[in-house]
Amino acid sequence: MFKGFSNSVRGASHEKRNLVCQDSSAYKACDNYAIAVVADGHGSKKHFRSHIGSKAAVDAIIETIDKFYSDPDRFEECFQKNHKFVLQNIEKQIISLWNDKVLAHIAENPVTREEKSDFTNEEFKKIPVESYYGSTLIAAVMGRKFSFGFQLGDGSLVAVFEDGHTIMPIGDDESAPANITASICNANASRMFNSFYEPEKKILALLCSTDGLYTSFGSDRDFLDYHTIIAGQLHNAEAFEPSLVKNITKRTHFGTEDDISLSCVFDEKLATEKLEVLQKAIEKNKEKAAARKAKLLNR
Amino acid sequence: MSNNRENTKPASAFDFDDDDPLGATEVSKKSLVIFFLIDTSGSMKGKKMGELNTVMEELIPEIRRVGEADTDVKLAVLTFATDVKWMYSAPISIEEFSWAKLNADGVTSMGAAFSELSARMSRNSFLNSPSLSFAPVIFLMTDGYPSDDYKVGLKALQANSWYKFGLKAALGIGNEANDEMLAEFTGTKDTVVHAYSGSQLANMIKIVAVTASQIGSKSMTLSEETDRELTEEDVLTAKQKLLGEQIQGLVNQDDSNDVSFDTGW
Repeated sequence: MFKGFSNSVRGASHEKRNLVCQDSSAYKACDNYAIAVVADGHGSKKHFRSHIGSKAAVDAIIETIDKFYSDPDRFEECFQKNHKFVLQNIEKQIISLWNDKVLAHIAENPVTREEKSDFTNEEFKKIPVESYYGSTLIAAVMGRKFSFGFQLGDGSLVAVFEDGHTIMPIGDDESAPANITASICNANASRMFNSFYEPEKKILALLCSTDGLYTSFGSDRDFLDYHTIIAGQLHNAEAFEPSLVKNITKRTHFGTEDDISLSCVFDEKLATEKLEVLQKAIEKNKEKAAARKAKLLNR
Repeated sequence: MSNNRENTKPASAFDFDDDDPLGATEVSKKSLVIFFLIDTSGSMKGKKMGELNTVMEELIPEIRRVGEADTDVKLAVLTFATDVKWMYSAPISIEEFSWAKLNADGVTSMGAAFSELSARMSRNSFLNSPSLSFAPVIFLMTDGYPSDDYKVGLKALQANSWYKFGLKAALGIGNEANDEMLAEFTGTKDTVVHAYSGSQLANMIKIVAVTASQIGSKSMTLSEETDRELTEEDVLTAKQKLLGEQIQGLVNQDDSNDVSFDTGW
C-alpha cells in the first residue's frame, strides 16, 4: 500500500523579515501510484508572487499525473514502451496547466500598486507576467511496475531501495555560483527538465526536497544517510512525522535559514518488511561517517 | 489519500525531542571556505616564515570567533614552492583546524598554484559541501615574483566561476613582491596590501583574513531596501567593494614601525 506525507516550513531568514514561505509541497497516495511533489518559489524581486507560483506548480503536477493515471493499465503500457516520449508529454502538460493557473490568478488578482512600487514603470513593463510566479519543481512517482521522477531547477530527489541503499537518481550539473536557476516560468522551460526512470529495482521510498534541506548538510553522503534514517521510520510514519517537522524546522534555524519542504511517498508493506535491513544500513552508515571524518583530519 | 500542505508551520518549533530519530544527524551551518595561497619558496626562509607560522596559529581563534554566530568557516591552505601542496586533503572546519608549521625551500611555482587552485575550486572537489553558502575568500601571500609562467595558471583561474565570484586579496611581503602582479590576481589594487616588517606582516594577515571572513560570511542575499533577493553579481560587487574599503581603511591605521625584512632581517 502506498502512503506519503509532505511538509513545508518557513525559513528562519523569512521568519525574521516576516516574509511568507515561498515553498509548497504535496503528495497523493492511491492504489495504483503515489506522487510526492515540492516546489520552491524564487522569491527574488521580479518573482514577487512566487509563493502562489509554487502552489500552482504542485497542483498542476498532481492534476497532470492524475489525468495520465486515469487509465492505469494503458498509461503503464505506454510509459514502458516509450518513457521518454510520455515524460516529455507530462512535462509539457504541467507547464501548460501551470501557465493556465497563474494567468487565471493574475486575471482575478491584478498587480497591486504596492507590488509595482519596487520597480520603475520601464522596469515593470519588461517583466513577463509568468515571471511574477516563478518557481522550481520536483516530483517523484511510485507506480505498481516502475518509478519515475522529474525536476526543473534546484532541489533534490532521493530514492531509497529495499536494501537501504540511497541515490539521487537525477544527476546534478556542475553548479557555478552564477548559474541561473531553471524555472517553470522560463520560455524554454520544457527543455530544462531532468528526469529519471527506474523500471527494475524495487524502490521503498521516494523523497523530494527543496534546496533548503540539502544545504543544511555538510556532505552528499550525510544527506543521503539522513534519508535512510527516514526510511527506517516509515513503518510507523504517522508517529514519526512530528519529529520530522521538528527536525526540518531545526535545520532551517541552524542551517542555511532557507524555507524547507520535504515530500515523501513509500511502500508501507516494504518499509515494514525491510525494517531490520534498514536498521543495519543506518548503523553501517554511522560507522562509515566516523571513518570518513577521521580520514579527513589526518594530514 | 491525499494531502496538500502549503506553508505549514509546526506548533512548537523549538520543542526538540531527545529521542528524535533524526536528532543525531548534524545540522551544518552556512559555510564559507577561505583559501590561503602561501609562498613557501626559499626566499621566505627565516623570519618571514617564522612570523607567518606564528601569526597563522594566532589567527585561527580570531577567525573562529567570526564564524561563531551562524557560519562554519573552513580553511584550505595551499603552499607553493618548487611543488604545490595542500596542508589537508580537503577544506577543514576552523573548529577542527590545527596549523602545521611550514618550512621554506625551493623556487616560486605560483602559476602551478593557480592551476591547482582552479582545479580544486569545483563542486566536484573542494567546494562540494551542500552547506556552502558563500563565494570563497582567496588570500595570496608571497614575497617574490613567480619563477614559472603564472599567466597560464591565472588564465585557468580567471575562467573559474568560483574565482570570479570569490573575494580576493593579496599580501606582498618585503621589497621584492610585485603589487602590480598581485593586483592582476585580485582584480583590484584595493585589496592588495604590503608588509615590510614582521609586525606589519602579522597585522596585515590579520586585517585581511578577519575582514575578508567577516565580509565573506555576511548574508547579503536579501536587499535591505526592498526585502528582495539580490543576484550573485550584486552580492559580489558589494562585497568586493566593501572589502577594498575596509582593508584600505584599516591598513592606513596601521602604525607599525619596526625593522624591515629587507634591511634588518
